[in-house]
Parts: sequence; C-alpha cells; structure tokens
Amino acid sequence: MSRALMTGNVAAAWGARLANVDYIPAFPITPQTEIIETLASWVDEGLVDAKLTMLESEHSMVTAAGAAAATGARVFTATSSQGLLYALEMLYAVAGWRVPFVMVNVSRGVASPITLEPDHEDILAARDSGFLQLHAATCQEVVDFVLLGYALGEDPRVRLPVLVNEDGFQLSFTREPVALPAASDIAELLGTFDPMGSALRGGNPTSQGIAVLDPSAYSYFRYEIHLASRAALAAWDEVAVSFAEITGRRYEPVEVYRADDAEVAIVAIGSFSTKLKEAVDRLRDAGQRVGLVRPLLLRPFPDAQLREALAGKKGVLVFDQNLSMGKGGVLHTEVCSALYGARGAPPIVASFIGGLGGRDLPSEEIYAMVDETLAAVQRGEAPPPRLLFTHRELTQQRRLQVIAGVERAKGGAP
Amino acid sequence: MSGAVYRVRLHGRGGQGIKTAGRVLGTALFLEGFEVQDAPRYGAERRGAPIFAFVRAARGPILERGAIQRPDLVLVADDTVVVVPAAGVLAGVTSRTVMVLCSEQPEDVWRARLAPKGPLHVLPLPLEDRGATSLRHVGMACAGAAARLLGVVSLASLRKAIETELAGVGRAAIDSSLAAAERSFVALSEHAGAAAPGEPIAASGYERPVFVELLCEPVLEATAMVHGARTSELVKTGLWRTVRPEVHAELCHKCHWICASSCPDGAISASESGVARVDYDHCKGCGVCVVACPHHAIAAVPERSTEVPK
Amino acid sequence: MKDTRFAHLKDIPSAHLLGAGTAMCAGCGGLLAVREIHEVLGDRTVFVNAAGCMTLLSTYPFTPFSGSFLYTAMASAPAGAQGVRDALDVLARKGRLAPEDDLSVVVLTGDGSASGMGLSATSAAIDRGLDFLYVCYDNEGYGNTGQQASATTPLGARTATTERGSVASKKDLFGIWAANRPAYVATAIGSEPVDLARKVEKASKIRGPKLLLVLAPCPTGWGFESDQLVEIGRLAVKTGAWPLKEVEGGKIVHTKVPPKRAPVEEYLRAQGRFAHLFEPSRDEATLASIQQSVDAYWRTVTVG
Repeated sequence: MSRALMTGNVAAAWGARLANVDYIPAFPITPQTEIIETLASWVDEGLVDAKLTMLESEHSMVTAAGAAAATGARVFTATSSQGLLYALEMLYAVAGWRVPFVMVNVSRGVASPITLEPDHEDILAARDSGFLQLHAATCQEVVDFVLLGYALGEDPRVRLPVLVNEDGFQLSFTREPVALPAASDIAELLGTFDPMGSALRGGNPTSQGIAVLDPSAYSYFRYEIHLASRAALAAWDEVAVSFAEITGRRYEPVEVYRADDAEVAIVAIGSFSTKLKEAVDRLRDAGQRVGLVRPLLLRPFPDAQLREALAGKKGVLVFDQNLSMGKGGVLHTEVCSALYGARGAPPIVASFIGGLGGRDLPSEEIYAMVDETLAAVQRGEAPPPRLLFTHRELTQQRRLQVIAGVERAKGGAP
Repeated sequence: MSGAVYRVRLHGRGGQGIKTAGRVLGTALFLEGFEVQDAPRYGAERRGAPIFAFVRAARGPILERGAIQRPDLVLVADDTVVVVPAAGVLAGVTSRTVMVLCSEQPEDVWRARLAPKGPLHVLPLPLEDRGATSLRHVGMACAGAAARLLGVVSLASLRKAIETELAGVGRAAIDSSLAAAERSFVALSEHAGAAAPGEPIAASGYERPVFVELLCEPVLEATAMVHGARTSELVKTGLWRTVRPEVHAELCHKCHWICASSCPDGAISASESGVARVDYDHCKGCGVCVVACPHHAIAAVPERSTEVPK
Repeated sequence: MKDTRFAHLKDIPSAHLLGAGTAMCAGCGGLLAVREIHEVLGDRTVFVNAAGCMTLLSTYPFTPFSGSFLYTAMASAPAGAQGVRDALDVLARKGRLAPEDDLSVVVLTGDGSASGMGLSATSAAIDRGLDFLYVCYDNEGYGNTGQQASATTPLGARTATTERGSVASKKDLFGIWAANRPAYVATAIGSEPVDLARKVEKASKIRGPKLLLVLAPCPTGWGFESDQLVEIGRLAVKTGAWPLKEVEGGKIVHTKVPPKRAPVEEYLRAQGRFAHLFEPSRDEATLASIQQSVDAYWRTVTVG
C-alpha cells in the first residue's frame, strides 16, 4: 500500500472518493472548504462519479444530503463550526429519517466570540442528534474513519448518519503520510448503497419524516434511534475486522496506550491525543505510570470499553477541548457517568479544560495536569475543574483589554 | 402535601367554547379561594375535531399534573363526541363519577346507551344554540352545570368569572353566555355538591405496569414512515361532522364533478346512477357542497348522535 | 391554453389520489387545491413538505398520499427537493433507477415558510434551475399555529398578532419569484379548478423551476363559515383582489380577467378578519387604501 503526503482535508475527500459516493451537497466554510474544492475538481475531472451541488446554507445542505440518501444515493458532505450549528435542526431530523451518510466536521470553535481556530464545541453540540460520531487523531484516521463510517452507518442494524470529526488546522491543513486503501478493496467492503426498500420511488409510495403525535409511538421511535446507535458498538467489531483485513489497521472503539499498568490514565479525543501519547512516553521515561485512553467513538459512547480500560486506576485525568457553559467539560461528564458505580471505578476523575479556540497544549502543561491528578489521588479528593490558562496569558489579556479601551470604561478591569 | 382535589373534565369540539368553559370554571373556583389548575388539551386536529379541557381545584397546593386519570365530574358539551373513541369521554370514569351531557336526547336514552354506573344528568341544548348551525353556548352551559354540581361555587363567582374570561368579546356575547351558564346552574340546584373530590391513586395495592425491554428493531419497522398509500382513509373524520349533507336524488342533475371538485376532503363521488354520493365516513360536514350545488340538491341536516360506543 | 386536456370541470380526474381522513379543518382551501394538484400530477410524485398546516396531512401511521411524502423542516423544503431530484438524476445516469421509478418532485409549503425562512432556499433552488414544482398554499398567515401575521398577511387583516389589522401590505411572492426568472410562475386558487388544473398541467411539461402560488381561503384563520369556501374564493377573483396569472418567458399573462371588477368590499365583508373595518364604524381610510391598491394593480394590466 503506497503512502502519500496529504492534509486531513484531502484525506477526507479521498474517503468520499474511495467510497464511490453518488452525491455531494456542499457549502464552503473555513477550515473545511478544501474538502469540497478537492471533490469539486475531482468531479469535474471525472475522477469521482458523483453530482456535486452547491447549496445556499448548511441547513439546506444537510436537508439535501438526507433527502438524497432517502432517495437511495450514497452521500458525502462536510462542514465546520457555525455551519454545523446552522444545520443542527436538520441533524436531528435526518437521523430520525434513519438515512445513512457521512458528514465530515472540521472542528472549529464557535461564536461568540467568533474564531477560525479549532476546538470541540461545534462537534459536541451535535452529540445528541442521533448521528454516530467518530473522532480522528491523524490524517490517516480521517480517511479510514470516513470509510468505516459508511460501513457502520449503512449496516442494517444501524442505518444512521455518521459524523467524522477532524480537528481544524491540526489535521485539516497539516500534511501527513497517508496510506490509501485500494479502491477495489473498498468497493468490495462497501458495495453499492442499499436503500433497503425505503427509497423514494415511483410506484412505491412512502411517507417519510412524518409527524408522530402519539406520545407512546414517539417514545418508541426516539428510543429506536438510540438503540440503533448502541447497535453500532456491536457492528463496529465486525466492520473493524473487515477493514483491518484490507488495510492492516485495526481500530477499537477505545484506544488504550500504555495504560494497562498505569496509575493515572489520561482520557482525551481528537488530534491532541497524539501529543498526549508523546507526553505519556516522557512521563514513563521519568518513571511515572501514566497511560492514555482515547475513545474513537463518542456516539455511541463506548461505556463498557472505557470502564474496562479505566478499572483499577487510581486517578483519571480528562482533557476537554470544549466547555458546556454552566457545567464544564463534556467528556469529563461522560466519563464520570460511565464510571460511577462500576466495579473498580477510579476514585478520582479530574477535569481539565484546554485547547479552546486553537490554544496549544504544551508538554509542560500535560505533565502539570498529571501532577495535579496524582496530588488529588494522594489527598483522596477530586480537584476543582481547571482551565489551562497561565499567569502570562492573563498579563497579555490585560494588555489587550487596555487597547480595547477597558480602562476607560466604567468599572473596567483593574 | 395536597388535600382533597376536585377533578373536572369538559369534552366538546373546537369552536364550542370548551377551553373558555374550563377557564371560567377555573376562575370561579379561584374566586372562591381554591388553588386551581386549568388547561385545554387538543392535538393537531382542527375546528370541529374533539377537544377537552380539565380543571382541578383544592384548598391546598395541587401537586398533580397533566391529564386527569380519574375524573369526579365529566361534562360533555356536544353529545356527538361520545362515539369518538379518540375523544376519550369515558376514560377513567368510575361509579362515583358524575356525568353531564348537553343533548337533545332525554336522560333515559343516554342511560340506556351508556349504562353509566354513576349519576348522569342531561342538559337541554342552550336556547341560544337551538336551530343554529354551530353550537356556541354549550361550553358555557357545562361551566354553569359544573359550578353547581361541585357545590362550592356561588352564582356570583360564576358570573364574575364569565365577565372576566369573556372580557373583550362584546356585551351581547357575554350576556348570552351568562344566560346559558345560569340556566344550567339553576337547573341542577337539587344536585348541588353531588360531585365530590375523589381519592388519590393509592401507592399500595396499585396495578403494577408491565414494562418491556425494547429491542433494536429492523430499520424499516422502527422508522416513523408509512409504507403505502392513503392509510388516512382509516381515520373516520366523519365523526367531526355536526351537519350532514344529504343529496336529494330527485333534484340531483348528476353533474357530480361540480360538488365533487368543491369538496376539500374528496368525500364526494358519483354513484352508478350518476347521482352524487357522500362518503359519510370522511365527510367533515363543511357544507361547501351544499353551497356549490347549482340545483340545491344537497341539504344540510344537523347531525346528532345515534350510536353507542362499543 | 390550447394544449390542455382540461377544457371543462369534468375533464379533471377524480381518482381520489389524495385520500380522505386528514386532520385539515373542515372547509380547508389549501386541501382543496392540494387534492386537485395531486390528481393532475398523478401518483409518481413526491411532495417535499415544509412545516405548516399540510405537515399534518401525514401523521403516523396515516398518510393521504398516493405518491410519496417527505417532511423536511420549515426552512429547507426546496433543498430537500434538490436532494431528491439530484439523487434521482445521478442514479438514473448510473443505471440504478428504472425510468418508471422516477418521480415528479413537488415542494408543498405554506406562505409563512415561503415568505419567511424558506425564501432563501426557494430563491436558491431557482438559481440552480432545479426541476421541480413549488406549491405554496397561501392562507395569509401562520395558520398552523393559529393565524399569526406572516409577511403575506394583507393590509387590514386581523390576525392573532395584529388585533387591529395588519398595517403592512402583502408581500409580493409572485413578483419576487418572477424576478428570479424561473421557468414558470403562476397564481391560482382551488375555487377555479380548471384554471388550476391547466397551470399544473403546463408546469408539469416544463423543465426547471415552476412556482405556483395558490390562495387558500381558511375558514378558521379568516373567519368565515366553512361552507363559504368556494364563494370566498370566487369573490377574491371577482373583486380583483387575487389576480389569476402566469409568467412564461418573462411575459405576464392574466388567465382570468374579471370583466367588471366588483368592489373589494364584497370580498372583505365576507370575512371576520376584516370585520373591524366595518364595525362598529367604517374604517374608510383602510378600505380606500385596499381598493386603491387593487385598482392600481389592475391599471398596470394590459388585457389580451
């Protein structure tokens, strides 16, 4: 299998190309745009046999994606940040239509204040929509997860749309070597999209997306979406094995890195997890028993695998690149709910928030987080959630505030 | 903790003042110093479709929520909704539930039809609604009856509640509403206090729900979609009808395309002889065909319940 | 109107493709039009719906359609139509769609969506040249939620949010659409079934974006007895308040010109939503303004 250098965005486009998609509804947004530009040129050159249609908004784009999938086409689309939020109503809607397709989200912080830099607030806003959610850590995983996404979403047990997340800039604009599977192997893995008899067709009347006003029937349908999402955990094992046979790359719902004998496990998702692996290696060099536990799947949430991976640890350090206003880190909450009451659940689960709006995660901060977690283990009490924000940053912030006229405003910062 | 709670349910159709009747009763009870909950409940259905309203009242805080499981008093403003299963007129009715129907049929007819285990009273149609195409005062008649049957609402409070809730609709409408409500209030004088607060649902010896573990089912079954055409015809919207179009074959010129093309519900077709035929299972009684027929061959006949629910 | 199979009312098919038993109000003007449109288009049709009264045509497990139906959301039904059309086209090209499995794609939307949050999606679908029929049933307000004012509520009309009558004039959706130069634009009304059938027939023979604005008298929202449905529609046309017209190749043609327009008051008086213009005292200024705008419109019309 040959390897080539490519950005995460080009890798995402390759995922669509290898999946032999039929339809690409598109709308530009930074840092996603390169994906649709790449696909548009491939369609023009005849390298991708699909129709690409520019919509007028992401809301319309996801509507068109769901409608085309309901008509029996294999669909790929992509967005970022504000676009994902703008489309959010339709994410819930098309998940309820039970139409599989893949949407790549190139994650980027959300307004306000508006930014172009990455974090996970956009993608986690879509957490409860019914889309499956896969978080890539490398450009290789971007293409692999798009392909796994089709296999998983189209599985007869699942039939749900899939979001594949790649971090803006960290992956979207970063070139890495990527091994592309052979198109023929993927064609065999995925086959042609099977609408399973529900496609909109002349002579086969169906009414879809319809109102359900009976509370019991509504409960049933909503819960079936949840069960289908949970069924993706079982489907994953088979799909991942088939994928590994083709590519040699075997993915588990939760990656465990040097964590088997660890006292402290770091839990994180996305591209910073490679950075966390590097830190784990350095901490191991320094004699500390630290490991990384990384969910690849956020929906369905791999509770059992996480419980197993974290059982017996003295402390867990959850690194969140997001913030649920008024609560804190979303991943921290999810990990805690998976662990609470479980046999061997770690007594300490510390919460750290960082990497917001593209903020870097320096190695020293990782070491310090581990230190603080170990101290909490010693104390026997979880620390309060910490935002990774240094004295130097606050000093700089004060300078910006002065320029912004804060000292002239009544009651401004001292 | 809550004390004794009065639980009242009012049934009728959209446009008959059921929501207002619930509010009038709620306000009247509030004026009498009760804690009150009142709310209308209606689904996606439209004008003419069955709706209900409910009122709870107690001397202390009311902790119950939502629809009433076991009503103490059920009032039916439009007797044609009794046969509509979805209307749920008899839901939760027990031997101690007092029932009131606004109907042109006498009490013994309703006793025979419904075989109620508890007390049943029939109110005549309000004078204001007799001969009218739509019933506009039946809700108010029920509010007056409810106030009297509860026995804890004075005529003065009832009047004040009507003035309050109808403020803005004009003097004439208020006066006719007052008249309709007062008449039924007076008519049921001898039954004042007949509707008493029922017992709450006990936490011991209750009927245990049988929960099931839902399984992940095949997607075609577990998706909110309809596989096929025209399943709506299973819905008998004919039950909405308060006025029935009747085709007089001797007057019909067999130009059925005229009346049929005017029917929004597609409930008119041609019979074998060419005479227009109305699909009474689905005709909502809008009356468009009555007006559209150039030969005046379709008459509007008031609909009254003649069937008993199974 | 030479190439039409609809010379007379009895030519309109009555296969009852739209089943009865729906939750629409008794005497619904929108339903009357949708029924006829389904009859003319046939059962190889998919109705892509935006949130509104007609969303409740299909409530699980009931649907009245002989064709298919897809509810999307309030803002994006034209995008749903785009997705369906694009998918059908690409599947046909790839040999995965038999010709007889193809569908006519129709958007079914109310005026609230069409004139508000759905306007952008509609305009964009026209820009893209989408081959679809866009049907807006115009009941001049947010009917499904109890008739609040929409951008298409006419001057003087009382709604749940304009108790003293709307001070804004009705948004000219026809003009907005026509300015985008789609393949076909027309107005219609259910009480003129032959005119409506011809327009739907004509639209079905043209490729590209076709838009149909159908006035939908609403007994519930407009305040008239349901049996007056057809009469109200006739008055709308007879008084000139609702011009029946179409645009083809940039030229506006009026398909039914009232020979002698009746005063618009006749139309207004028949509806409760305009009652405050007459009682307790006549609102001469508003009445004159409404009549003037109708007169001004017809002065611009060259008949023939």
